[in-house]
Amino acid sequence: MIRELFQLGRDALLFRHEAYVRHAAHADVLKRGLVLLVLVTLLGGVVSLVVDIVGDLRPTDIEAEIEQVEEGLQAFFQNMEAFGDLPPEFKKGFYQGFRAMRPGIEIGRRVAELTTPLPKPIGVILSNLGGFFSRPFSRLAGWIGYSLWVMLIAKLLGGRATISQMLGATALYATPHILDVLKPVPCLGGMLGLVATVWGIAIYVKALAVANEFSVGRAIAATVLPALVFLVLALMGLAGLLVFALALGGA
Amino acid sequence: MKTLIRLAWEALFLKEESYAEMRDSPNAVLRGLALVALIAVAVALVGLVGTTLEWATTPDMRDVQKVVLEGIQQMDWYKELESNPEFREQVQRQFEIGWRIFPQVFGAPSFASAGLRIILLPLHLVLTWFLYGVVAHLFARMLGGQGNLGQTLGSTALAAAPQLLNLATFFPYLVVGGVAGTWMLLCRYVALKTCHRFRWGRALAATLLPYALLAMVVASFACLGGVVGALIFGGGTPQ
Repeated sequence: MIRELFQLGRDALLFRHEAYVRHAAHADVLKRGLVLLVLVTLLGGVVSLVVDIVGDLRPTDIEAEIEQVEEGLQAFFQNMEAFGDLPPEFKKGFYQGFRAMRPGIEIGRRVAELTTPLPKPIGVILSNLGGFFSRPFSRLAGWIGYSLWVMLIAKLLGGRATISQMLGATALYATPHILDVLKPVPCLGGMLGLVATVWGIAIYVKALAVANEFSVGRAIAATVLPALVFLVLALMGLAGLLVFALALGGA
Repeated sequence: MKTLIRLAWEALFLKEESYAEMRDSPNAVLRGLALVALIAVAVALVGLVGTTLEWATTPDMRDVQKVVLEGIQQMDWYKELESNPEFREQVQRQFEIGWRIFPQVFGAPSFASAGLRIILLPLHLVLTWFLYGVVAHLFARMLGGQGNLGQTLGSTALAAAPQLLNLATFFPYLVVGGVAGTWMLLCRYVALKTCHRFRWGRALAATLLPYALLAMVVASFACLGGVVGALIFGGGTPQ
């Protein structure tokens, strides 16, 4: 099965139409889609997991880290001042805010030093593994939550897919996120994340069109409309808040 | 038991055949009840394992409480006001009240809550299954559905299958989040569509109307609570 899924993932990445059609028509389309999504998400997070565990197991010098953040802030303000003078109160307030966090950091440091029934490194490994295994669930939640709205619009646009076909097919969108494996690489990781997102959206549209047996244009409409509706609602909410605040201010 | 587990596994992947098999079962309600209770008990027991591992890798909460209080007492604002005994007493009191709530809210492992879940989760799942099933059945019949109440309850019991995702919480610090709830909604849609032989539009309406009704009931109670609160605390008198 894993070999078959690997093949499916590769074909999905290359937008091979036949592979999408075969996958959408498969009796276990949802199971296959979900397994692929979970595997890709886990594989994409392996390097981050190792980096995080190693980072957390290494003894940290809090003072050095605070100093590093302060130096970073100073460099940031210097860069900002290249574009214009910053009000001194702004800088002062920023530093004061940062220093106000110090007692909190100290509490965190002391709590981290407290003993636990099992040795500390086991706790570090388990908590990182817990976060690692939570990743597929958080991806599933976002994907299913958004797909519910896409499914509704696809149906209204004449889509013919069953719920399993629609979800199983669109689960392929996760395949490019295998690039997340390079996420910890500075700069490159972020850029590849953006590439994976755009690539994933394109796969989502293609899969939606194939599963529903309608045009790519309709698939784009079904994919984009929920986001547009959310955006309009959010803007309306903000405008409402603004009007409310202005009315209160006026009163 | 084996059949129930197979049905739940297939229902999780939204296989209409499993919902149809449950609908056509002669004792759908009893099987449904057994399935929901079984899933709930299994999830709660497995959660206890996860909680135990989290407890074993977390410092004693009494030590954490001590460190946090000492940390607060070292803060500038506290030092400025600590000469006032009333202030010291009030901070201590508020801190102790807060400490009863916040660690639980932020996920501190608690054996008491995990143990209580073995009783409360089956009760909660069975009750929500039954209430949802009855209300959804009423709406489904209004929309021209063909299934009877026993068939609706049997089919919608399979919609508890996504709770199986929570079995993953045997692993400490793992968060399943809202995915099980959303997935349950999908399963309920397939259950009602299959049980009442609906087309997608009516199935969707029958699935969502109980949620809409619940939202209306909650909003009505909130409004009523607000009015009663205003009358009691605002000093007003009913006309």
